[in-house]
Amino acid sequence: MDAPSLPRARRLIPVAASVSVIALLAACAGGSSTGGDNTFGLLVNDDNQIVQDALTSLSAGACTEANEALPLEIETVPQSGLDQQLQLLGGQDALPAQFAASGSPAVTKDLDEAGHTLDLEATLTELGVIDDIEPAALSTIENLYGGFIVLPYQFNIEGVWYNKQLFADNGIEVPQTWDELTEAAALLQEAGVTPLSASGEQGWPITRLISGYVYRSLGPDALEKVADGGAKLTDPEYVEAAQAVADLGASGYFGQGVGSIDYDTAVSQFLTGSAGMFYMGSWALGAFNDPAQNQIGAENIGFFPLPEVAGGAGSADQVPANVGLPIAVSAEAYTDETGAWLSCIAENYGATSLGDQGTISGFTVGDEAVEVPALTQSVQDTIAATTETTLWFEALFGAKATTTSQQNAAPLVSGSISAEDFMAMVQADLDADK
Amino acid sequence: MTTRFLRRLPLRVAIAVLLVVEIYPLVWLLLGSFKTQNEFLSEPSWALPSQLNFGNYIEAWTQGNLAIYVRNSLLAVVPSLALIIALGVAAAFALEVLVWKGRQTVLLLFLAGIMVPWQMILLPLFTTYFELGLAGTLWPLIITYTATGLPLTVFMMATYFRSVPHEVFEAATLDGAGMLRAFWSVGFPMVRNAVFTVALVQFFFIWNDLLIALTFTISDDLRTVQAGLLSFTGEFGQTAYGPLFAAICTNVIGTLLLYLFLNQRVMKGLTAGSVKG
Amino acid sequence: MHNVLGDRRAVIILLGPALAVYTLVMLVPVLWSLGLTFFEGNALFGFDAVGFENFTTLWNDPRILDSLWFTVRYAVVITIGQVLLGYLLALLYVFALRKASSLIRTLVFFPIVLPTVAVGLLFQQLFAIAPQNGLVNELLNLVGIASVDWLGSADTAFWVLAAMDIWRSMGFYAVLLYAGLVEIPDDIIAAARLDGATGWQMVWRIVVPLSMPVLLAALIFSINGTLKVFDSIVALTNGGPGDATTPLTLYMFRTSFSYGEYGYGSTIALLLTVLSLGVTLLIFRSSRRDVSGTDR
Repeated sequence: MDAPSLPRARRLIPVAASVSVIALLAACAGGSSTGGDNTFGLLVNDDNQIVQDALTSLSAGACTEANEALPLEIETVPQSGLDQQLQLLGGQDALPAQFAASGSPAVTKDLDEAGHTLDLEATLTELGVIDDIEPAALSTIENLYGGFIVLPYQFNIEGVWYNKQLFADNGIEVPQTWDELTEAAALLQEAGVTPLSASGEQGWPITRLISGYVYRSLGPDALEKVADGGAKLTDPEYVEAAQAVADLGASGYFGQGVGSIDYDTAVSQFLTGSAGMFYMGSWALGAFNDPAQNQIGAENIGFFPLPEVAGGAGSADQVPANVGLPIAVSAEAYTDETGAWLSCIAENYGATSLGDQGTISGFTVGDEAVEVPALTQSVQDTIAATTETTLWFEALFGAKATTTSQQNAAPLVSGSISAEDFMAMVQADLDADK
Repeated sequence: MTTRFLRRLPLRVAIAVLLVVEIYPLVWLLLGSFKTQNEFLSEPSWALPSQLNFGNYIEAWTQGNLAIYVRNSLLAVVPSLALIIALGVAAAFALEVLVWKGRQTVLLLFLAGIMVPWQMILLPLFTTYFELGLAGTLWPLIITYTATGLPLTVFMMATYFRSVPHEVFEAATLDGAGMLRAFWSVGFPMVRNAVFTVALVQFFFIWNDLLIALTFTISDDLRTVQAGLLSFTGEFGQTAYGPLFAAICTNVIGTLLLYLFLNQRVMKGLTAGSVKG
Repeated sequence: MHNVLGDRRAVIILLGPALAVYTLVMLVPVLWSLGLTFFEGNALFGFDAVGFENFTTLWNDPRILDSLWFTVRYAVVITIGQVLLGYLLALLYVFALRKASSLIRTLVFFPIVLPTVAVGLLFQQLFAIAPQNGLVNELLNLVGIASVDWLGSADTAFWVLAAMDIWRSMGFYAVLLYAGLVEIPDDIIAAARLDGATGWQMVWRIVVPLSMPVLLAALIFSINGTLKVFDSIVALTNGGPGDATTPLTLYMFRTSFSYGEYGYGSTIALLLTVLSLGVTLLIFRSSRRDVSGTDR
């Protein structure tokens, strides 16, 4: 029994040997860890290509000197794993020089309270580059995070993009009130196109309509009141907003199966002319200006801010704005070399981002003439004319309420939960956070 | 003849349906890997791609870093698989064949490991790996995969050892061989087909793992194939479908070849009935 | 005789390494996390002791009940589906296809090889309603039934999920169970045939009892896998619509890592562990004779 089996046992020896070799290789393949002391580290969600590209091009261009002193090193994580990584790395005091500070401002504020983020107001003033930040971006950041603690690598405004051709064909004027918006939607529906393209799979494109309505009907401080506890989402005037959006869904204005429409499909519906309107932020300009994706033509796209609600306290001049997924600077990892990098970024990022990537940032562009597409220019003009900005629905919520809100947006517009229930669920999570 | 044919008809239909259900996704994946983004978004999902372009594959390998992901997966999976088998089979032998006080308790202890949700061990492990300076390497993956793979392996191998008559081992040791020798020369070879089955099962578990890979790969250089597949989705939810499908196809074809290769071994052994009690 | 099999040195050498790794990497962290059930907070901001507060929160959290109910329903449906279909397939391989089963066995096994992300995409597209009908709705339309928003409502989403996971793993269970079936000696089957047992009768009386140990192993394995389902739900529904398909694992992961309540997350994990343990012991108890093997 055992005799013929012995050679087999021997054969396992080289296997065992090669295992240890592979294990050694594995150890070598690792490379350095994120918290390296002599690099200008950036921990960023891997989908944020714009910031990665712009910083890389700065490191080889205007910021070569800073880069030689402290080389740029980019580490990426999937967005879904970002909060987990922030917690785990932050818990070890191992955050790199710059890090994407979560999609939820509440988490960003927590990071600030725990002392992980650098006070950029003081630092940039000391470096003498504070004037390179657009005032509108600065006020948006302070609104959101309670202080200047993240860099405005992006500066987005949001509103409704519409198909000029479809509006003209159906005799629709740009809506000035919410009622006109629903009338426009009804006309588009009659004409056989989806009135409003929206991704229910993502959720946020829908909840932003709720906050839009709230800001128009109750004024720009409406959601701060909810955050302070001065008002509740379950108050009738807030439920009215959720109801208004639920009504859009009940009338079928989002088309069928809104819960399974993902971001790309929503963009594609608008850019192939099968949807008449599209609520989205100006980061979508990249897709709008790309002829391969945009089959209706960039000149055929118009923009209007979410219209006013009759008798409401807000106005259409108040435009929702944000700085994308914020990137903070680590307080622990700050050195003079990091400061050199920050000065250089403040002076040059605006032009690089607009010129190379065609995206608008919260850094000033400076005197250099940068040529931009007409649609982008019109957005820049809108930003320049904006004096007051508002936030998005979940901006002041905790992570839990944010998840609940975005997950239940699709059930709200498909009618499987009521406006009251929706607001009650979100409010319950807000209460639990306190 | 016709009655026999009719009698077998339901079986044939069932098998035909089964084959369609199993093969269609393969075809769908392969077709998808040649489609452009617009074809994904505005054509029905069963439509054929307009042309056979390999651009998606090129993009997946160059921009998608697929080569690095495959290397990392191999570097993490192969050592952990070898360790799982080596440690697990030995432990199962000690627990099932050898007789000693407390073995039932230890077996139950291992069994409890099957029930613990892995999410529970992530935070303590991350902290520990970090303190030990292992965080920038693939070691956390290898160690964690080995440990999480052990309970099931021990449990399954113990079941197989149970079906081997213990007189065999007693006889082997009476011939003058030590117990370790008996394990090496009699025990291990007797269950080698079961070892292949268990190894195969573990391989696919580890290869397809997302949770552990996502937690312990803190940099892009360390990402495994499954975690890498997630990087085809953009900041606001955009998905590069074509390159994603190309990456999935590459992954599937690789594992499929490996499976076909191993399958022959496993099945040959099984049908020869060498694990019969 | 037991002296030979009681070689203490052999026990230490063979069992030692596995037990050491298992203890350090699984048991210790589990105990560590269990300790954290009495704390509030996370790795970022430190932990504060809160006594039994997490347990009272757990008791009063309406979402726990929803998640628990979903988890149990899911585990029962999928386990029955996986093991039953897997067993039927295994019977098919052994008795109907015999030697020719190799190719079909491989094909049916194949879905488990697919990355979860890919399977999720496949089922999303099969059951799609927007932007255009998927294959399933298209077939429904053919026979005059209106399109259904499969992933848009809790009930249908559950069944799509069930279909996906059963489709995915039945081939795997078929191979596991097949290994048990081929072990049944041919002469027993032949003897039963001579006694006049036919078809299902023989399966029920002879084959099922003889393959009980491997069937139970598959059952325990399946129930523990399905109670801890994570990847496939994240890939297909991400817990939606709303949180209608959120199992305990996903709720726990979100609580710990997205909401930063690690202590409460550990408490949820404890609940899940206790649940798995209870179910496993139940199956064990009801089949002690067949599986535990204490008679030796």
